Order: sequence, then structure tokens, then C-alpha cells
Amino acid sequence: MEFLADIIKWFFDNFLLVLTILIFSAYVMLASFSAFTLRKYLRKNSYVDYNSIILSPFAPSISLIAPAYNESVSIVENIRALLSLYYNNFEVIVVNDGSTDNTLERCIEAYDLVKVNYYFDYRIACNRIRGVYKSRNRSFYNLTFIDKVNGGKADALNAGLNVSRNRLVVSIDADSIMEPDALQKMVKPFLEETDKKVIGTGGVVRIINSCDIKGGKIRRIHLPENFLARVQVLEYSRAFLMGRIAWARLDGLLLISGALGMFDKETVIKCGGYSTKTVGEDMELVVRMRRYMVEKGKKYIVTYIPDPLCWTEVPSTISVLGRQRNRWTRGTAETLFTHRKIFLNPKYKKFGMFGYTYWFFFEWLTPIFEFFGISFFLLYIIFGSPNWPFFILLFVFVYTFAVSLTIWAVLFEEMTYHKYEKKRDVLKLIGTAFLEPLFFHPLTLIWAVRGNWNFLTGQKSWGKMVRKGFGRKKK
Amino acid sequence: MFYLGKICRDKWIRLVLAVVFLLGISLTHTESFAYPGFLLSTADKSVGFGREQEREQEPEHEEIPVATEKERDIFDYLDTRAPGPLLVQILTAIIIYSILSMVALLVVILLHRNKLENIEKTSRDMEQKYQELLMDYLFDEERQTGTIERIKKVAADALKRQILMKQMKDLMTNLSGDAAEKLRELYYLLGLDSDSLQKAHDKKWHIKVKGFRELAMMRDTRANEEITKCLHSSNNILRIEAQLALVMLGEEDRYTFLDYLQRPFTPWEQLNVHQAIVSQDLKVPDFERWLDSPNSSVVIFSLEMITIFNQRYSWKKVARKLDSEDEKIRQSAINTLGELKIKKALPVLKHHYKTETYDNSLAIVKAIRKMPDESVLNFLKLVIDKEDDIQLQIEAAKAIHEMDGRGERELQKIMESEYKNYKIIIKHVLDRRI
Repeated sequence: MEFLADIIKWFFDNFLLVLTILIFSAYVMLASFSAFTLRKYLRKNSYVDYNSIILSPFAPSISLIAPAYNESVSIVENIRALLSLYYNNFEVIVVNDGSTDNTLERCIEAYDLVKVNYYFDYRIACNRIRGVYKSRNRSFYNLTFIDKVNGGKADALNAGLNVSRNRLVVSIDADSIMEPDALQKMVKPFLEETDKKVIGTGGVVRIINSCDIKGGKIRRIHLPENFLARVQVLEYSRAFLMGRIAWARLDGLLLISGALGMFDKETVIKCGGYSTKTVGEDMELVVRMRRYMVEKGKKYIVTYIPDPLCWTEVPSTISVLGRQRNRWTRGTAETLFTHRKIFLNPKYKKFGMFGYTYWFFFEWLTPIFEFFGISFFLLYIIFGSPNWPFFILLFVFVYTFAVSLTIWAVLFEEMTYHKYEKKRDVLKLIGTAFLEPLFFHPLTLIWAVRGNWNFLTGQKSWGKMVRKGFGRKKK
Repeated sequence: MFYLGKICRDKWIRLVLAVVFLLGISLTHTESFAYPGFLLSTADKSVGFGREQEREQEPEHEEIPVATEKERDIFDYLDTRAPGPLLVQILTAIIIYSILSMVALLVVILLHRNKLENIEKTSRDMEQKYQELLMDYLFDEERQTGTIERIKKVAADALKRQILMKQMKDLMTNLSGDAAEKLRELYYLLGLDSDSLQKAHDKKWHIKVKGFRELAMMRDTRANEEITKCLHSSNNILRIEAQLALVMLGEEDRYTFLDYLQRPFTPWEQLNVHQAIVSQDLKVPDFERWLDSPNSSVVIFSLEMITIFNQRYSWKKVARKLDSEDEKIRQSAINTLGELKIKKALPVLKHHYKTETYDNSLAIVKAIRKMPDESVLNFLKLVIDKEDDIQLQIEAAKAIHEMDGRGERELQKIMESEYKNYKIIIKHVLDRRI
């Protein structure tokens, strides 16, 4: 018993500290790589005339697949925004995933849709497609609307893949707004392909809460008024500008956000499309595609571009955010568990040795360790005599490091695309960085633990996501 | 600190960072700061900092002190309880650096914001001013001499010259004939050519690229040797820019880089060369010249260009590429024959159908669809009948449908056939809304 107690004490005395130092070192390293990559990217792309892609015969054809479930508030405007993207050779496939509201009716009315005799092969299994609609209005010639039996986001994306006729596919949330030049930017890595096949590209997703939107387009960018949404601005900046950019550079990227990602269609289909068995279908697809390429002995890359390409609404209430984070945790755990073969497997090179390992320890297990660490400390307060000065020192260390890292992310944002025009917004963001570790981080911890518990107990639901729609300025 | 320095090009930002860095070092090493015992912890006797004497006077801390702790300051207390002095030192150092970096970052962010605002304002003002001056110079003969002096005066510093150069480059893309010649004259009169030459010979690739672009736009060939050297650069941006500059500056030899290209000629590079040819109205070469290139990407590019510039006379050479060992070359050749509507190639395409890969077979049916001919009707019917793949069947049906009246009648017949149910496929093909 004493031996066991010693082990537990050692674990909390040393292991957590070592883990913290490792995580922080990893963050510093990733931030350094990101800085280097961002600088190179900005310099390199300052010479690019993206407009040359729009009408070029060399530009590949693209299918945008936007699954929609009960999106009647914003669907019409969002489709219009998708149709007005600056690209020539593309189609928009909207998949109504058995909405229970009037999403279908609104679209039929707005775009003069009519059911057509569309025939396609179920190359990837998906729930029954009730009908394919095209517009009678020739201005919407590149819009295809699919109405299908509800099967979840992954199933809807698979339906879109079956109908798509183009070489590249873009998965996008129907409630997100793409930058008008997003397709030009995303397609460029595919055009730069050499001996390594580009199988997927992701871009930076930004937060749209509180922005002025009209006609499916962003007229003015504002920092979210809501504290929770504002904290997520910081989270997204860290994740995209510091994390994913670096992982793409290190060839260890495991996730392209479900909000926006461009993929080589044939590779997606050969891999079996999106998995309907997980709630983290975006991450699972990237991992499976990478696995497929390695196992087939094919050279490939997954790229990431630091340009802000897509704007999405994030949850602004604790309950909805909690459900989203719970789902993200389950998605991560499910993907890591499904592809456990990759873990520290040299066959998968950097992807298996570093990318997967990082996610395993730092994204999945760390919140669990942290939770137990805090619990142990609370027990120590009650039953023992904690070393308060050392605790304070550690706390200040973690706090100041976390805040300074976040301010680095704000700097990256400033040095790259500085989307927030007002100086006041930037200062507000920095102010939020000081509050985040105290008020927001404990919540994410609880959601992560809950998510893991639900993963272990086999819960599969997505959770209800409430959106306000883009038709008006959101406060 | 290093990587921030990397992303901050400005000296003043680097200066702020350097001060913070030095301040950090001095704070974590100065006696005054370290004195409280925090950084010179006595908890671990093995760590020596030349203060053994002081340590010896301190009591042994075998047990955790309880009664005296309130009397001691926090640092003394830490000495007795912290896991180890080195760890405490490291944590303290990181805390200090984190706090300092927060302050420094805040300063940098604000300064950067101010600088951006200033640049934006200057650019906006200057752009408008230069536009007016350039218009006066180009289209107002009487005020021409005075205008040159005014432009010279305004373009006094590097930033303003840069803005002027950008304006001239933008203007040049939309000008031709006398106006373009006049603008070129102004470029030399203002001495901007020496700026461009200097940039072209700079060691930094991103400055070189600027120089190449300016020289190419102004048709100045004096740096061609330097540009040619960069054709084989491992830096892909520099390589692409060198290729483009040579395409714009060269005469007969403007495409010779294709003869020697060993690296893959990426679609992005191809797109840029095509764009340069179209936008600058350059002479289009006979691309069949590169159909036998050992570089497969050059062959694919040539096939694409033969299609785009409708070089039908090259079709025989294109058809020979159907026997290439490279699947992608064969596919490009199939597409080219289809796009050029070379009906003479139909028998060859039919012949290759059976032996081709799935993707290329599909490409053959699509190519046939582009040049509807009744001679292939039976072949297409066979594809519908014998193939199991829906995509192939749909494309074959579409190809039949393209044969005007006859095609539609044939499709109706197939639909009514009781042999197999093709209704859904034919309905799909006949639906004009798709």
C-alpha cells in the first residue's frame, strides 16, 4: 500500500511537472516553426497573383460540399455566398441531411430548384438520397442540391462525394462563410504538386460572431462582444497560426478542420470516404488518408495555408460550447483509438512518430492528467499540508507562460493578416488572454474529462448546436 | 526571441527585443535579484554558487518547518520546501521572461500597428498623387517636363520610389504602343532601372524577384545573365520568376528553358507561363517541339498548350503519345485529341480503349463525346452494354446523345430495350437541366 502511495506521489510530484515542461517546450518549438513557416509563406505569396488562377485552363475543377441540417435561418444567404466565390471551374453541392425545418423548401423557392433524373453510383455508402435538384435558372447552373435521409454530417459529405464530378472536393459547413478568394488560395498547393501527391489542404478558420454580415458576405470584422466567443478567437489563433501551420511543416498534421478543407477526391473515395462511426470525422479522414498513402507506398503531403479562408460562428453559451468540446474530445479519442496502429510506428515516419504521439499525449491525455493533478492537489489541501509557496511559484509559471504564449499568437495574427482594424480590439484580445487561463481553461478541462467519460461509455451523439444565423449583426 | 526577430524585419522591433532579452539576462543573473535565496536555494547542498559559507550557517531542514515559516520571507520558505534549487531557478527565469515578453510583445504589437497605419496612409496618398502625375506625363504634352521634375521630387525616399514603381508596373500591364514606350522612357529618366538592376543582383531571393519582375515589365534585358543563372535554383519562387522573366524578355530563345528543365514543371509554373503568354501577347511557339522531351511534365504542358492554342497541325505527333509509357502523358494526349476534335484519331482512340487504365478509358469516351461521329456509335453502345461502371456508361450515353437527332433516337431505343434496364442512365443523360 505504501509502495502504491509512493508511486502516486511520485507521479504527481514529478511526472506532471515533466509533462508540463514537455508540453511547454513543444509549444515553443511549434511556435518557432510556425513563425518560420509564416514568414516564408508571406514572402513567397506576396508575389502571387491569385487572380491568374480564376480563369486559367490549368485550374482544376472543384466541388464544394456543404452539408446542411436545419439551417433554414442562413442557408439561402450562405449558398449565395458560396456561388459568388472567385473561381471559374467549380460546383456547389448542398446536402440537406434530412432537416426537420424548412431548409429544403427555402432553397427550392430561393433558387428555383427542380428535381432532376440525376443518376450516380453509391461509390461510398450513404443513407438514401431522396432526390437531386438543379435550378431552372441558368445563373445557378453550378448549384446541385441533394435531399437525403438524415445520417449525420459524415454521411451527408459522403452523399456529396458520390454526386461530385470534379477532381477536388471541398468540405465546408453550410453555416460558414468563405473568403471570396479562398478557393484560389486552397487550390494553389495542388497546382504546386511535384512528385508528392497533395491529398489535402486546410486553411485558417476565423470567428464571425459580432461581425457585420450582409448578403452572405462579411462587411466589417469585429472582435466578438461575448467573452466566450472572444476567448475562442485566442484559441483559434493559437491552434491555427501556431499549431497546425507548424505540424504541416513538420509533416505531422492530423487534422484539417471540418469547417473547411480541400481534398483529392479519388484518394478520399479510395479510403472509403468520411467515417460515420465517429463524431470527429474531419480528423479521422485525414488520419485514414495518410495511413492509406503510407500503406500503399505512395508519396504524399498534407498542406496548410495560414490565410484566413473561412469564417464560422462559434458557440457563445457555456452549454453549447460544452457539448461542442465534448464532441471534439470524443472525436479525438475515437480517431486515436481506431488508428492506434500508428502510435510510435516508424513505418508512418513523422506522422506516426511525432504527429500521432503529440496528439496522444498532449491533446488527448493531458486534460485527463491535469484533471487528476488538480484533484490530487485538492485532496492534498484537505488532508495534507501543501507546499503553498512552491504551488504559487508553479501557478505563476504556468499562468505567465500560458498568457505570454497567447500574446505571441496575437502577435502572429498582427504580423500576418491583422484582421481586427481597431487598436482597441487588439488590446481587448490581450486583456482576454489574461483572463482565459483563470476562467475558461478550467471549463475546457471539465468538458474534456466529460468527453472522455462519454467516449468510454460509448456515447455517440453530436449534441445540439444552436446558431443565430448571419442575417443580422450578432451581439 | 530569435524567431520573433526573424519575423520582425524592422530594426526598432529588434532593438526592443534585444533590450528585453538583455534585461532578462541581467535580472536573472544580478546579485540583487538573486539575493533573497530564491535563486541560490540551499535546499540542495550539491549545487554550489560560491556561497557555501552562508549555507553552512543555515540549519538543516530535515523536517518541514511549521512554526517559523510566517517569520521568514517567501524565498527562505521556498528554499526549505521546493523540490530543488535548479528547478526553482528555471521556473523563476521562465516567469521573468514570460512577463518581460508580454510587455515587449505589447509594445511590438502597438508599434507595428502604428507603422502599418502610417504605411497605409502614405501609400494611399502617394498612389493617388502618382496616378495624377503619371497621367499628366503620359497624356499632357505641355506639362511633361515639369511633371518629370515633380515626380522626381516626390519620389525622394525608398518607400515612395517603391510605391511609384508599383504604380508604373500596374500601368504598364494596361498600356501598349507609344504610351508604353513613354512610360519606359520615364522609368529610365527617373533612374528606376538602376534600382531594379541592383535588386536583380541582390543576394536575398525575395529582393531579386522584385528586380526580375520590374525588369521584365520594362523589357530591360541587362540582367538576363543573372536571371538565366536562377533557372536552376532550388528555390521554386526564384525559379518560377526567372522562367517568367525570360519568357517576357527573351526573343527567339524565350522558351529554351523547357529544353533543359530537369525538375518537374509544376502546373503552377505552367499556369504562370501560359498567363504571361496571354497577358503580354507573346509569340506562341509550336509546342510539338517539346513532345519528345525527357521531362514528362514538359510533355504534358506542351499537350495542354497545343490544346489551348488550337495547334491542330500537331495531331499526328500528339496521337503518337498514346503509346507513351507514362499514363498521365497518354491521358493528356487523349484529352488533346478530344479538345481539338480530331476525328481522324477516333480509330486510334477506340483501339486504345481496351488496353487503357480505367481513368484513361473514361478520358477516351469523354474525348469521343467531343467529336460526335456515327462511326463510333456501335462502339459506344458496346461500352454501355458491356461495362459495369456507371461513369463509363453515362459518358458513353452522353457521347451518343451528342450525335444530334440520331443519337437521341438511339438512346430511346436503348431505353426501351428489355434486355437490360438502362432507363435511369438514359433519363439522366436526356435531362437537359443537369
